[in-house]
Parts: sequence; C-alpha cells; structure tokens
Amino acid sequence: MANYFNTLPLREQLNQLGVAEFMDISEFADGVSALKGKKIVIVGCGAQGLNQGLNLRDSGLDVSYALRKEAIEQKRDSWKNATDNHFTVGTYEELIPTADLVSNLTPDKQHSSVIDAVMPLMKQGATLSYSHGFNIVEEGKQIRKDLTVIMIAPKCPGSEVRAEYLRGFGVPTLIAVHPENDPQGKGLAEAKAYCVGTGGHKAGVLRSSFVAEVKSDLMGEQTILCGLLQTGSILSFDKMIEKGIEPGYAAKLVQYGVEVITEALKQGGITAMMDRLSNVAKIKAFEVSEELKTIMRPLFQKHQDDIMSGHFSRTMMEDWANGDKNLLQWRAATGETAFEKTPAGDVKISEQEYFDHAVFMVSYIKAGVELAFETMVEAGIKPESAYYESLHETPLIANTIARKKLFEMNRVISDTAEYGCYLFDHACKPLLADFMKTVDTDIIGRNFNEGKDLAVDNQALIAVNEAIRTHPVEKVGAVLRKAMTAMKAIKTA
Amino acid sequence: MTDTFVHIAQLNLQYAQQVVLDQLDWQIHRDEFWQIGGKSGSGKSALAKALAGLEKTSGTIRIHFDRESSRPPRVLYVSNWYQFTNLEGDRNFYYQQRYNKQQKNDTLTVYAELTAYANSENLSMENLTPYLDLFGPADLKNTQLIELSSGEHKKLQLIKALWLKPQLLIVDEPYTGLDKASRQKLNDFLDGLAADGVQLVLVTNETDLPRCINRFAEIEDGKLKQVDSAWMLSKDISRTPKELPQFLREEPAFSGDLLVEMENIHIRYGEKQVLSGVDWTVRKGEKWLLQGPNGSGKSTLLSLITGDHPQAYANHIRLFGHRRGSGESIWEIKERIGLISPELHWYFDKTASVWQAIASGFYDSIGLFRHVSYEKQQKIRQLLAFFDLTADKDRLITTLPLGKQRLVLLARTLIKNPPLLILDEPCQGLDQSQTALFNAVVDELCGFGKTLIYVGHYETQLPSCLEKRIVLEKGEVQVIEEINELAY
Ligand SMILES: NC(=O)c1ccc[n+]([C@@H]2O[C@H](COP(=O)([O-])OP(=O)(O)OC[C@H]3O[C@@H](n4cnc5c(N)ncnc54)[C@H](OP(=O)(O)O)[C@@H]3O)[C@@H](O)[C@H]2O)c1
Repeated sequence: MANYFNTLPLREQLNQLGVAEFMDISEFADGVSALKGKKIVIVGCGAQGLNQGLNLRDSGLDVSYALRKEAIEQKRDSWKNATDNHFTVGTYEELIPTADLVSNLTPDKQHSSVIDAVMPLMKQGATLSYSHGFNIVEEGKQIRKDLTVIMIAPKCPGSEVRAEYLRGFGVPTLIAVHPENDPQGKGLAEAKAYCVGTGGHKAGVLRSSFVAEVKSDLMGEQTILCGLLQTGSILSFDKMIEKGIEPGYAAKLVQYGVEVITEALKQGGITAMMDRLSNVAKIKAFEVSEELKTIMRPLFQKHQDDIMSGHFSRTMMEDWANGDKNLLQWRAATGETAFEKTPAGDVKISEQEYFDHAVFMVSYIKAGVELAFETMVEAGIKPESAYYESLHETPLIANTIARKKLFEMNRVISDTAEYGCYLFDHACKPLLADFMKTVDTDIIGRNFNEGKDLAVDNQALIAVNEAIRTHPVEKVGAVLRKAMTAMKAIKTA
Repeated sequence: MTDTFVHIAQLNLQYAQQVVLDQLDWQIHRDEFWQIGGKSGSGKSALAKALAGLEKTSGTIRIHFDRESSRPPRVLYVSNWYQFTNLEGDRNFYYQQRYNKQQKNDTLTVYAELTAYANSENLSMENLTPYLDLFGPADLKNTQLIELSSGEHKKLQLIKALWLKPQLLIVDEPYTGLDKASRQKLNDFLDGLAADGVQLVLVTNETDLPRCINRFAEIEDGKLKQVDSAWMLSKDISRTPKELPQFLREEPAFSGDLLVEMENIHIRYGEKQVLSGVDWTVRKGEKWLLQGPNGSGKSTLLSLITGDHPQAYANHIRLFGHRRGSGESIWEIKERIGLISPELHWYFDKTASVWQAIASGFYDSIGLFRHVSYEKQQKIRQLLAFFDLTADKDRLITTLPLGKQRLVLLARTLIKNPPLLILDEPCQGLDQSQTALFNAVVDELCGFGKTLIYVGHYETQLPSCLEKRIVLEKGEVQVIEEINELAY
C-alpha cells in the first residue's frame, strides 16, 4: 500500500492540508436525520467505541457492535462493555452486512487487518467511518469505490465524550470526508449527523480533511504534546538534582507542575500562562523561550518534514513489523530515568510556587507550543487545525503525567504518539546539552523572584507582552476557546 | 477545670463582608453531648468546622484531649457534603455515571476505600463488621463509590466515623438521606459511642436524637444561645405565598393521557437484581409518592423515566406515548421532565451562578452553554422573584445555604413548564421548616395540569397534593394505593 498523501500532486496535497473551516452551529440544524433509521455498527468497544455508541443511541440512533470472534468467545472487556449496556453484539459476519454505517473504532495499528476483514462484508453504498485518519493517509488503505469514507474525531478521551454529552454539551470534534470515497455525495451530511449524535456540534466543530487531521495530529503528539513534555520533565529534574535540590521536591515540582502550568494555558492560552509570572520572571521566561525556539526549530522542522514525506510512518511501521523492537526498548529506558524512579516528596507546594519555581518549564512549554504551531502553519496546515493539535491538547497530556509520570503516560497514549515521542526526546536532549549548562536553579527549583528588585523597564515589559499576545496561536486560540467556554471544568479544553 | 473538654472563647469568623461568629464563647464539659440547630445560614456548620480546625478564625479554641484514653485524640468532622475522587484523582463526575457500565473501574470500591482508610488511620478491619450493618442487608463492599446512592454515601461517611471513634465527633446533618430504620440504627450506634468515651456534637434541627444528647443550642447574632430542648430551636420564617408567574399557570404542552407506561421491568447489574417485575403507569395530572428503603431501587426506577439509564433500551417502557428505543433522543424526553435529585445536586456545575443554573433548565444541561433569548430571560426574572432569589441571582449557587440551593434547582426544573416533575428526595438535607417551605411551593405549583412523582422518606413531611403511592422493596413493587389522608 502506498502512502496516500505521497500519491497526490502538490496542488492537491496543499489543497487537502488546507481544509479547516470552523463550522457554525446553524450548519447542524438537521440534527441526526441523515442517519435516522439507519443501522450503525461499531467495530471495537473500547474507550471511543463504547462512549460514542452510548451517545449515538441516546440521540435516537440504532447502534450495535461487531467484535472479533475471540472477544465474544472469551467475553473480553469489549464484549462486557457492550452487553452490560444492552447493545446487540455479534460477529463481523452477523452484523456488518446489515450496516448502513460501519464505524471503525479499533486501535490504529489494527486498522489494516480490521478493514481487510470487514470491507468485503459491507453492503453496496454503505459508509465507513473512522476517528483518526492514519490508516487512510499513511497506510494508503484503498476503500471500495462504492463506499463513502468519513471521519469524526473527538479531540478528547472517550470518557469525556460521554461525560460532556450527558451534561448537555459535547467535546470539540474534527469531521472530514475522504475525497476519494464520496460516490453519492452524502459524506458530509452523514459526518455532521454522526457528530450531532455524539454531541460534538455543541462544543465547536472543525471541518477538516483526512490529510490535515493526520499530518497535524502526528506533528502535535510527537513534538509539543508528548515529546517535549517528556524532555522538559527529565531535563528539569536532572538539573535540580545536579544543583542539589531535594529530590522529592524536584520530582513533585515537575510531576504536578506541568499540570498546574498548563491549566493556565488551557483557560487563557500562552498569555494567561505567562501572566502567572511576576513581571521580571515573565521577561526572563520570554528570553529563555526565544533562545529555546532558536535551538529547537530545526528539530521541529525535521519532525514535520518526516511526517510530510511519510518517512516517519514508514519507519514506525517497519518497527511494528519487527515486533515493536525499538518501541519496547525505548519504553523500558524511560522507566529507568531518575525522574521516573524518584517518588514525589511529601512536601506542600502552593499553586503559585509551581510557576515561580519553574520559570524554565514555563518558557519551555511556551517555546514548544509556539514552535509546533508555527511549523505546522508553515507546512500548509491551517491555524485552526494547528491549534487543536498543539495548545488544545497539551493540558491533557500534562494531566496524564501528573497522574502517572512518563512511563505510564507513554503507555496510555497511542503507539504512534509514543514512538514519535521517543524520537523527539532522543534528539532533543543532545540538542539542548550546551544550553542546559547555562541553566541554574533560579529558573528551575528556586523562586525566581527571591532577592530581586521586582522593578522592570516599562518599554521592555510592553514589548514582551505585545509579542506574547499577538502571536498567531493566541489569535486563533481566543476565537476557538470562546466556542468552548463551557468546557472550563473538563479535562482538556 | 478538669472536666472541661472544649474551651472556646471570643471566637470570630467572617466570610467576605459577612460576620458569622462574633465573640462566641462555648464550653463543652465531659458529660455533655450537644445538638446545634437553628435557622439556616445562622453559622452552625461554620462553628462545627471551626471546632474541627477547618475554618480560619480568631479567638481561642482549646481541646483537652484525654491522654489516658484509648480513643484517638482527634476531632473528626463529618460534613454534610461528601467528596470523593476517581482513580485518576479528579472529580469530573456526572450524575448519570453510576448507570453507565464500563469495565474499567473509575473509582475505588467501598471495600478498597475502607481498607485504605484502615491503613491510614491504623484501624483493624475486624472491628469494622458491626458498623457495616448500617448499610443494611445489601452487601456493598464490592460496589464502586460512583455507584452508591447519596444515602449510601452518607452511611459510608458515618461508618468511617463510628469505626474511628475519635475523642470528639462532629456530625453535620447526620440524618440526610437516611431512611427511618437507618436513623434508628445510627442513633443507637451514637449512643454506644457516647458510652464509649466519644464526645458528640450533632448539627441538625431534628428532634429524634440519640438519647445521650443533653445540651441544645443555636447561634444568634454570631453567639451561642442555649435552649432547653430540640423543640425550642428557632425555625426559618415561613414564606408568604405569592402568585405563580403566568407562564406556569398555562397547561404544559402535552396532549396525551399516559406519561409513563412500564411493563415487567427487570434491571440487574451482574448478579445484583435491582428491579424485578415492576409494572407502573403514570397518567396525566396524577401526583405520585414513591417510597421504599435505601437501596430498594427508587432512583433506578426514576432514571428509566428520565432517559438516564442505558438498560431502558432493553425493557418495555413507553414515555409520553413513545416506546423507548424507537428513535427518540434522550433530549426529547428530558424536555418534558423537570428533575431534582440529590445526585443531580451533588454533581451540578460548581461554577454556575444562580441565574445560569436556572437558565440551564431550558436546555437540560448541567451548566449553561448557550445564549438565552429575551423572552427566556423574562421568565427567569419572574421565577427569581417568585422564589425570593432576585438578590442572589449573581451569586455562585454553591455559596447559598442548602435550602436555597434546592429552591434554585426547583426553579431550574420549572423554567420550561414541563408536564412531568420528578422530585427525588428534594428535601434531603433540609430541616423541617425548610422542607415545609419547599413543599408548600410544590403544592402551589402542582395545579395547572402538572404531573408529579415525589420521593420522600419522612412521612410527616410531604406536599399535601400527593394522591397515589407506590412502594418498592428490594426492587419489587410492594404497594400501589390511593392516598386518602396523609395519616400513616
Ligand atoms: N483514545 C482517544 O483519546 C482517542 C481520541 C480520538 C480518536 N481516537 C481513535 O479512536 C480509535 C479507537 O481508539 P480507542 O482509544 O478507543 O481504542 P481502545 O480503547 O484500545 O479500544 C479498541 C477496541 O478495539 C478492539 N480491538 C483491538 N484489536 C482488535 C483487532 N485486531 N480486531 C478487532 N478489534 C480489535 C478492542 O477489543 P478486543 O481486544 O476485546 O477485541 C477494543 O474494544 C482509534 O482510531 C483512535 O485513534 C482515540
């Protein structure tokens, strides 16, 4: 199978990468009618499968689950999830031929084999839907020409998809129609109806394309979201140990600090995160982040280039074929880092202290978000897509680190994200080695403000504030966050 | 004085601009067991928390723990409001969560929670058994915290307290959510504790107390005022009836006669049968009382009507004339129902103002996510006035006294003038006078073609409009009867 993106002429590549339209709620006025009375069969009943299915059914749609034989025979969790909630469950042979829409919610790594098993059973003119486009774009899976292929990708974990729906809201969602598979022109109407069924239309929907979703998702997860937070955590911790900060304190400052810091990011973007610092600290953080951006920019560009060229997914799939040799080895190494092995100390750290004692971390996160966003936009991805895959999801991963540290964080994210995360981490640490020699405990471990005259020069502060506030990620972020104001209380926004 | 256990002098406490406790003095002697009651908002919970060291105060609080005693030298405060976290450490719950089955556990089981408690408090699991009895016959040890009803949560908090036997135990609204039998059991346990060297302070206006309670007081103008008995505690001033807003005098838009038809309902979770063979029909205009002991399946039964239970799809239920699972969405069902339940209250959006909370009733959402039109705003204004809430409209709902919070939620259910009101223990946690006020409002509302299902434990404290009664016991219908007079 050839990488789909690489088969396209440049003009069409740019065309598909550039699909990003923030949809108005009025576009969803038809509700679920395009799917009303149709048979929806979901393949897989895991985090997304179960929760999307519960929502679709509660929206008046007809939902059942096709599971692989072993899962049914062994009454695995997926089988229990579906039967405990009184859904009809059957084998592929029993259910797929009846389906008007088949929703593939199995793990991405399994998509090729699942589609091979399912596609021959699908009826003429049916629809196949995904929540992530890797299989179509990177693996270049060819879908029968009579079938319609759509994507509905909630930008939150499955549990949130359910929780927000029952609160009467939803989670932000990307929808797309695969241009190669829309023979009847019904793709968009069905994608919108599915999205309404999951509640996504209430929280803001971005019309995207398979290509834009995949290329931006891969870029975001391996750089700012997972890779950068991992590297930042390890570097911060190691520096504090080197400088004699108490290890329990250092571990706690990092583990919970990423969450506290990105909570401000979630609510009010980079501006709000930087505003938590004193004026002197903010100016310092700005300078540090500018330096970090200069050093790391080539690495971000390399990641984006490898994603665009298909090099990244090709080498990763080689590792899949090789029994995940690299992945497992790198995962084990993460478990051996000093940060991972040092439990958070039983010390009290106030909310403000997480900012004041970790100016480096704030700078580093700012640099990462802006670089990921800038690099994506330079590569032809629209700002709206780039926002969702960078700033929007950062607090979610930070939250996972706070609960589970790095080893477990890597296990809960997708294999694709994990693989990319290690690639980034392994390249980033040597890149920053010289810079880290210049770092001292004033910006990581101790209160930056301590012993300082907190006065600043007006002009310098105005210039820094201006630069922070007018960055394009802040502009698009302000608009998109407004559509999600109601998400203030949920895990990621 | 050697027999002084607690010595409080010149205690001051202020919330923002409001003085709550003002130079308050209080002595608790060794042989004294106190009830603190009085009007809502008078500061009784604040005093209880201050005594437990949970409030920022000025003045003196000295507790003379008995160093010889085998009881832990501790003050334990059991709050009116429980909080627990999921396994990932946050509290992002929704009230319907316990009906959605996921293989992955979200929260600890009761047993795991109690084991963790035993470890942190150095308690022996062997001594726990007698207290588990408070749960009643149901074995909840393997139930997840999120699956517990509000009454069961209260019991879990109480069990922990009884098990710990701290030298000073303060319980805020001990009887919230407990049925009659559990209340009696709790009183017996508390008497046992008192005999065992535990000092008690109960914050409540109830009169049915443990026998050991021998001091009664309320707070007046920030100072403690002792009274002779539980009956002498001040009551909230009752409300002068007001004219209902015009839009609530209009008959709700539903033309059919049958609102709820249930046939042979069976609900089970694994081995646990929650409802079996339930038949029930609710007709337009009927006013139902639904009763049954804790754990008898009342909330589950109601969740089938409100569209909150996934197993509704596997049962024969018709709602407002439509068979469940025939293509209706839960939002179409919810549009016709005004719901209050303790769980809805617990998991309500903590960041909502009074105004937003009421407005969210138009959309059946927990929290307000939409623009509210002028016409809708007018209705909100009228309801705020009707419930005497206008002055509070911009306050966070969580900062109001519990009784007012319930009125806000009642207003929320009414704002769309729904044909069916489901009030599941709407007065849980309210004292007698607040309850009387609430029920008077329910009586006023229930003319004009509305249908009501009301859940209440206390036979003496019910709206007078109720005319039919259904009683559940262990998931089965025990009684369906007309209520002729409320004299049982
Ligand atoms: N998790 C998220 O936050 C998120 C967000 C947006 C989109 N997505 C996308 O949603 C999709 C599903 O992800 P998920 O996180 O929900 O996955 P998941 O929780 O791991 O669930 C996967 C389900 O697929 C089944 N399955 C596994 N291997 C299979 C195979 N070879 N053949 C058939 N069924 C198989 C599993 O059941 P058995 O093993 O019992 O058969 C399980 O029910 C992915 O495309 C993902 O990218 C995820």
